[in-house]
Amino acid sequence: MRRYELMVILDPDLEERTVAPSLDQFLTVVRSDGGSVEKVDVWGRRRLSYEISKKVEGIYAVVDLIAEPATVLELDRQLNLNEAVLRTKVLRPDQR
Amino acid sequence: MAKPPLRKPKKKVCMFCVDKIPYIDYKDTALLRKFISDRGKIRARRVSGNCSQHQRDVAIAVKNSREMALLPYTSTAR
Repeated sequence: MRRYELMVILDPDLEERTVAPSLDQFLTVVRSDGGSVEKVDVWGRRRLSYEISKKVEGIYAVVDLIAEPATVLELDRQLNLNEAVLRTKVLRPDQR
Repeated sequence: MAKPPLRKPKKKVCMFCVDKIPYIDYKDTALLRKFISDRGKIRARRVSGNCSQHQRDVAIAVKNSREMALLPYTSTAR
């Protein structure tokens, strides 16, 4: 089990209220594989420094989680398949 | 012959070593903005005054930040 930090940029056309539940749905894969979600932090709408697929804004969310490496890989794959997700980044904060 | 007085460059100290910041977070754009120029370029070590290890950490954090559109790759302002 390892600690991960996941950042997601979601489509700004999404309703901000629906962000947390839909994010939670993605995170079920972590819970069902025995991992745990430590913290979900939705930053909300934020201006992007440059356009990503013609969007000037994005909804940012940061998730701290503990999971197996394979689980995180699967989570990242599923996120990237979804069209509402503009970009993701998975980091291990304890690497240094 | 009077030589122009040699200007002694003031020795800078790395602010991360002084403040003992163990991990440079790519999400902390306010901090990272101090280490990029107004064009969005990463400041050189002789300008920023960081030690080599922390300069590298800053560079990695800035690059991560750019990937997530928190910082610009280039800013056209000017």
